[in-house]
Amino acid sequence: MKDISLVLKMMLKEKKDILFSVFFGFLAGITAVSLFAASGYLISQAAFAPPIYTLMILVASVKLLGITSAISRYGERYFSHRGTFTILKNIRLKVYDQIEPLASRLLQKYRSGDILARIVGDVESLQHFFLRVFYPPIVLAAVFIATIFFTMYISAGVALTMSAGMIVVLIVFPAIFYMIQKKAALSMREKRGVLSSEFTDYLYGFRELTIFQQAERKEQQLFDEMNQYEEMKASENRQLAIREAIVIFFSFFIAIIILVQAGFYVAEGNLAGTLLAMLFMIAITVFEDTPSMAVLPAHLEESKSSSKRLIEVWENEEPSKVAVQELEPDLPLHFDFKDVFIQYPNEKKPAVQHASLQIKPGKNIAIVGPSGSGKSTLMQALLTFAPVKSGHILVNGEDINTIAPDSLWEQMNVSLQHNHFFYGSIYENLRFANRNASAEICRDALEKVQLTHFSLEDQVLEKGTNLSGGEKQRLALARLFLREASIWLLDEPTSSLDSITEQQIMNEIEKVTKYQTVVTIRHRLTGLESMDRIIVMNQGEIVEQGTYTELMGKENGYFKAMKELESQQLAF
Amino acid sequence: MGAASICMALAIVGQSYLVVTVIQKLFLNNAAFPSILPAVFILIGMLLLRTIFQYMIKGSGIKMAQIAKVSIRKKLLQHFNGQQMTDADKGQSGQKTSLFMDTVDEIDGYFSQYLPQLIQSAGIVLIVWIVIFIQNWTSGLIILISAPFIPIFMMIIGVKTKDKSKEQLSQLAAFSGTFLDTLQGLPTVKLFGQSDGQRNKINQDSTSFRDATMGVLKVAFTNSLSLEFISMLSIGLIALEIAIRMIIFQNLSFFSGFFVLLLAPELFSQLKQLGSAFHSGRASMGAASRVEDVLKEETKPVSWGTVPLKSDKAPEIILEQASFHYEQGRFRLEPASMTISPYEQVAIIGKTGAGKSTLLGLLAGFLPAEDGKFLIDGIPQEKVQKADWFQRISYLTQQPYVFSGTVRENILLGSLEKQSDQEIREVADRAGIWDWISDLPFGLDTIIGEGGRGLSGGEKQRIAIARTLLKKPQILFFDEPTTGLDIQTEHILQRSLDSLKNQATMVTVAHRLHTVRNADKIFLLDQGKIAGEGTHNELYKNNKMYQQMINTQQGGREA
Repeated sequence: MKDISLVLKMMLKEKKDILFSVFFGFLAGITAVSLFAASGYLISQAAFAPPIYTLMILVASVKLLGITSAISRYGERYFSHRGTFTILKNIRLKVYDQIEPLASRLLQKYRSGDILARIVGDVESLQHFFLRVFYPPIVLAAVFIATIFFTMYISAGVALTMSAGMIVVLIVFPAIFYMIQKKAALSMREKRGVLSSEFTDYLYGFRELTIFQQAERKEQQLFDEMNQYEEMKASENRQLAIREAIVIFFSFFIAIIILVQAGFYVAEGNLAGTLLAMLFMIAITVFEDTPSMAVLPAHLEESKSSSKRLIEVWENEEPSKVAVQELEPDLPLHFDFKDVFIQYPNEKKPAVQHASLQIKPGKNIAIVGPSGSGKSTLMQALLTFAPVKSGHILVNGEDINTIAPDSLWEQMNVSLQHNHFFYGSIYENLRFANRNASAEICRDALEKVQLTHFSLEDQVLEKGTNLSGGEKQRLALARLFLREASIWLLDEPTSSLDSITEQQIMNEIEKVTKYQTVVTIRHRLTGLESMDRIIVMNQGEIVEQGTYTELMGKENGYFKAMKELESQQLAF
Repeated sequence: MGAASICMALAIVGQSYLVVTVIQKLFLNNAAFPSILPAVFILIGMLLLRTIFQYMIKGSGIKMAQIAKVSIRKKLLQHFNGQQMTDADKGQSGQKTSLFMDTVDEIDGYFSQYLPQLIQSAGIVLIVWIVIFIQNWTSGLIILISAPFIPIFMMIIGVKTKDKSKEQLSQLAAFSGTFLDTLQGLPTVKLFGQSDGQRNKINQDSTSFRDATMGVLKVAFTNSLSLEFISMLSIGLIALEIAIRMIIFQNLSFFSGFFVLLLAPELFSQLKQLGSAFHSGRASMGAASRVEDVLKEETKPVSWGTVPLKSDKAPEIILEQASFHYEQGRFRLEPASMTISPYEQVAIIGKTGAGKSTLLGLLAGFLPAEDGKFLIDGIPQEKVQKADWFQRISYLTQQPYVFSGTVRENILLGSLEKQSDQEIREVADRAGIWDWISDLPFGLDTIIGEGGRGLSGGEKQRIAIARTLLKKPQILFFDEPTTGLDIQTEHILQRSLDSLKNQATMVTVAHRLHTVRNADKIFLLDQGKIAGEGTHNELYKNNKMYQQMINTQQGGREA
């Protein structure tokens, strides 16, 4: 029950839609039963040539019941689906609320984005819980109970049989199926994942596979995977079909038992013969909707595991220490790293160690070093996104962990190595940085980063897939021009641009950051002469820091060696 | 399936017949209870048959779906194979995966639900109607008049809403993506202080998602409501008609009347089930047409022949007036001629968009040459054995692909034979990645690639170089493999590549001055044309554009 608590809680918020669905579902079911009961009674009466008015009343009530049943069915469908989508909304908001404060910690834990895709997939699959698992048994049970009560007036014995049948269909069968179900769902999901990644490998890596003559082998492997997946899927579907067949057979079987039982009472003279057809019709109809119980366990298992996985995402996170201290907005930021040690979970080596440095207000600082040397991690630490294991990062003398992150970020203008863009127009994406930015200011910002070939109305697809690497970097920088900040943190902001454009854009940034702190991660060593400080990193440690002249003056200096290497290989 | 459907229909008829018999005997004939028992047992048998036949129909539908999906996926694979060799369409790989997985899965419904239901309904409706007609022709007539309204109605509504719902559904798909979009952008959301705004957006989007979906669903619900009404009306009419014939005209027996009254709902329930299966069938058909659209796109695969390449040394490659253009986009590589002798060091240079990568793709046999000729050791490329060619070449790009699997598997891609860990270690060492590997938690057995440990550009690059070193190719193609790497990584890569120099022809789309300077031959590309050819000194003397390029770069150097 604990596993499913998340979706239950979110679902129960929509009491109105639940009640309406159950009410209309019940009405539709019970009127259908009455309809067939009436028609069974009608035909039996007709055999005795009764007065015409009895007949008229019966026919009229049959009609009325039919119409009521059809309309109720419509209402049931409408409210149950509306409820489902409202529940989906609630779950999304709940998940967002849970994950939002954890975002930085989740990113530390899972560097790739898979977990997010999984979360979204799990949320989507939870929408079936209400529609397929929760309310159908309630409606069925209500209809059964009402029908059994009615039947009791006619024949207690038949009512008893019906109750037994109800227990088997609503409880015994689903329980058995559920136990069989448990294992299947998991391996199916895994298999699908394997097939999907095999295909991605084949597609992305096709050129490599061809060159290394592995394409046919891989293709064969993919075919095998594909056949296995479809075989599994088919056998799962067959399983479901068998279960459905069992439930259908049982439902008819119970109806026949009731027929025989009632027939026995009639033969014994304990029951009026006119009621025989009616009882049979009731039995057939009340069991008609039960096949849905055959698929319920599958959906229940899916909802349960989705819900469980979702809760796990945030449950294992220790509640974060309350970081409430607000920074004073007008005070320039002064960072002080004291012997900082950062290590990501599941990594052997620390990402950064023994890091001590200062970032003073208004300074222009560059961080350089080979890839994997810890440059980006250092910047992530400034953003509170990195798992600092020991040492201290002080902001204006206060430990960074005690400061409300929002008040920190408010003073920062950040361009990450991978910047995110949202589905929507360029304008919307720009205004993300500043809700009040006018069209004119936005166009101006685009001009500064040389993206004038875009209009504000142009669409950006999810994750900016329709933009080139250079366009993404420039759009990310354009956002920053719309925002006032006392410190700019730029992680290789122009690595995908040619050197001339790079220089022009950096000049634009310089113009607006005369009095601001700017920390830039560079992958090239050009243009560092005017820096107030250069921090040189290698293998997670700061190996040197100083001004350009200081570093170049060092005999056997690391920076100097790198710089000489670069001059040999000057870029086109 | 058809036979099973007829058998199922007969079982249904038999079942109703027996039920009526039993009730008739007990109710009107006052028969003794034991006399009905044989009928009851046959009835249970009929029931069993009915369920078995229904399962058989479903089962063969599932089988059909399985076969269809496998064959569609195979077709898609073959199709993608024809267009895979260039970087041009890499961006759409996500869409392709989704087409291959999700869209094909969607087609399932057509085969596993709609088709079986169609056959089942057709058989049952036909048989049951014939029986009803024989029993009581007036009821048969009522059904004959009213039942066709159901498919007609379905079609009218279907045609009216088809385009609308199709359009709406694609919007909905975009909608549901925004949640993922927001989660992925959470760091950005937080850095810009937009948490509340995004929460509102999720709320609003979800609500309008709900309302839009309800709009589509309402149509479907109204559809089934009207079906329900038609069948209700029809059954009601039949009941009335039976009652009138039984009571007023007294020319219909209880047996026939009850029999028809039991059969009529079976008939209409089949039609209703067909109606709902039709909806899922239509969604499947939409998916199928999306797959078809993709399959229709033309591909230009490179064709190969059967002539083996003989010599043990690197083949000579010659382009004679070969050109190429992409289906989309205006870019065109003008007829180009070039000769690359064995073990030559060749550089291709030019501005962005000059066609350097296209020319390289042509030389490596990834793109088919239009017009002109492409000769490998004097043999036209289309006659050369594919395996022979690819055995001799290697190709490095800015974005080498790392497969999901262990580090060992990834490096071993470069070799068709078994290799000892010692050899792997040696190439990894030369590629400058052995230290990195030995630091990994599981060394060579660490899982990398999708679903495994993520790799930086430089790490990927070094894995790719280790592969190449293991393969020992005769010709090496480089597409600016060191762009975006830091100086040190680049230096390591350069060193390990230089070690291949005397063993292989090297064709490099060059980026670095020193690669260009040391080349035996330089091809300068401009707007899809070869604008110059020669050594550094020759070009520097004679080619204005080359001079300009070199000078700008040196001038742009800030020192």
